[in-house]
Amino acid sequence: MNDTLTLKGETLQSRLLIGTGKFANIETMIAAVKASGTDLVTVALRRFNKAQAEDDLYGPLAQLEKVRLMPNTSGAMNAKEAIRAAMLGRELSKSRFIKLEIHPNPHHLLPDPIETYEAAVELAKQDFLILPYIPADPVLAKRLEDIGCAAVMPLGAAIGTGKGLSTAEMIRIIIRDAKVPVIVDAGLRAPSEAAHALEMGCEAVLVNSAIAAADNPEAMAAAFKTGVESGRAAWKAGLMPTSEAAVASSPLTSFLSRDD
Amino acid sequence: MIDSLPNWLDPTPWMEQSQSTDLHAIKNAIYSDNPGERELALMLSPTARPLLETMAQRAQTITRRHFGRTISLYTPLYLSNYCNGGCLYCGIAADRRAIRTVLNIEQLDRELDAITQAGLDEVVLLTGERMPEADTSYIREAIERASQRLNNINIEVFPMQQSEYRILAEAGCTGVTLYQETYDPIIYEQMHRWGDKRDFESRLDAPHRALEGGLRTVGLGVLLGLADPSADLISLYRHATHLLKTYWQAGVTLSFPRIKPQMGDFQALHPVDESMLAQAIFALRICLPAVPLLLSTREAEAVRNGLAGIGISKMSVASKTTVGGYSETAEESTEQFSISDERSIDDFCRMLRKKGLEPVFKNYDAIYREPVTYVRSS
Repeated sequence: MNDTLTLKGETLQSRLLIGTGKFANIETMIAAVKASGTDLVTVALRRFNKAQAEDDLYGPLAQLEKVRLMPNTSGAMNAKEAIRAAMLGRELSKSRFIKLEIHPNPHHLLPDPIETYEAAVELAKQDFLILPYIPADPVLAKRLEDIGCAAVMPLGAAIGTGKGLSTAEMIRIIIRDAKVPVIVDAGLRAPSEAAHALEMGCEAVLVNSAIAAADNPEAMAAAFKTGVESGRAAWKAGLMPTSEAAVASSPLTSFLSRDD
Repeated sequence: MIDSLPNWLDPTPWMEQSQSTDLHAIKNAIYSDNPGERELALMLSPTARPLLETMAQRAQTITRRHFGRTISLYTPLYLSNYCNGGCLYCGIAADRRAIRTVLNIEQLDRELDAITQAGLDEVVLLTGERMPEADTSYIREAIERASQRLNNINIEVFPMQQSEYRILAEAGCTGVTLYQETYDPIIYEQMHRWGDKRDFESRLDAPHRALEGGLRTVGLGVLLGLADPSADLISLYRHATHLLKTYWQAGVTLSFPRIKPQMGDFQALHPVDESMLAQAIFALRICLPAVPLLLSTREAEAVRNGLAGIGISKMSVASKTTVGGYSETAEESTEQFSISDERSIDDFCRMLRKKGLEPVFKNYDAIYREPVTYVRSS
């Protein structure tokens, strides 16, 4: 069965989105992107380098067939900078996708909800396909959906920490309430966590550090591909409900079914 | 002059731990969930020396998690070596028989062209103390010229007033490096014999003025060898965390300059060997996981190769510490310190790649250059 992911009319075959920073070299990054089966990768505008091909992440990615590029605004501290980065990213990449990320603190890189919202309002008017990286805040998620974002991307944990789905309970609420796809971005370490996110009902995950920092990034990308597919299949199959303990056969109400 | 440090910088409460012989406590510090001054002091203890490999492995894991398998590259550009400073340890102090030069605009352009052609994109512009030959308006012009060619412009110059930092931020400068040199006020006074630099408190306050003036990043450091390294490194850590808490949006970086023999043969009062340097870097990486740690070409090839990616996340490359060194157009000048790692960019990058690390030339963009005014949180 054809189980694709649709973001404002754009159809993706894979539910694994890949980030492209932190790799040991461009060849490894490309190999990981291919092994992941992704058809949407994000690349920071600050890593576009027209002056020096060897240092440029955009060029080699643009060569890949069937992979679409999503510039991101990493490095932007506020809405104004993010909007400028988005405009420049679209101009250079010809892609409508923009991963909107605004992290005013360069150390923990956690997203600024206020600036992100303000930037999204403006970018929505400019016909961008906006995927905002946000704290796992159900109210913010709805507000961003209301102004026309193509998806919302709550963090599982802080970027690069590998702490997994630390925000799982908030993400459950976001999924329950959302009309747009929910994509977990940041914090994942293991393919099992990606599977968990899909099992919960996330439509996709975005992974970078877990792949780039693995001993074998290409193999880890392939493992995440399987994890995502497995999680999605499980979600569609319908997980059985959880319970605290085995259910005893009705000791309190058995009198109702006596046959005297 | 001040006799003692303000409370927020004082290392005294942790000095006992910095001499700890409790191996078990040191091991716990290395793997602490929430390392702070106490853990830093324990890891700086001489008793931690046999645990250096353990610290290195922990430091590498943390570095890889936060910075990936990459090393950001930058290069220093000496604008002027005119100086009226009295720093006992420095090769261009006013009483050294140094050949003084300042780049004129044409020479500056040639230097910038040479750096641009080498593919580098991040530069630190350096001068000595405040002099008529290289004053704020000269530095502003240098920044403007650099910002036409490069995305990331930083300065390492004399401490300025907030309004001056503002002018430089508006010209395209994003960061300032300003080492306190030592946090020991008594040694500080002995080392800085005259001039503006004798004002310990004004220098200490300069990163605040820079961030409130519109710059985004401040680079801190101590000159290892001047004072007790444990005390200085604990204060350095406290200085960094104080700034991170005061200006929650600001970037802070740390460098690890070590005293090298200069003209005048200044001898380190507290020599720091390579193992102690590594110990300091690993310990600070463990305590400050997301703060960029820098290492310059002052250090030898083997040390730089060894520390790349293991704590260190950013390195200078193919540095010239003479004025006009890149394009070799200016007359001869005296260097501020001698470099040990003279490898070309290609050779250095080859080493990084062999270690599984990607050299990153461009990691910033000019669109993120407008002045950002931080407010001191109470």
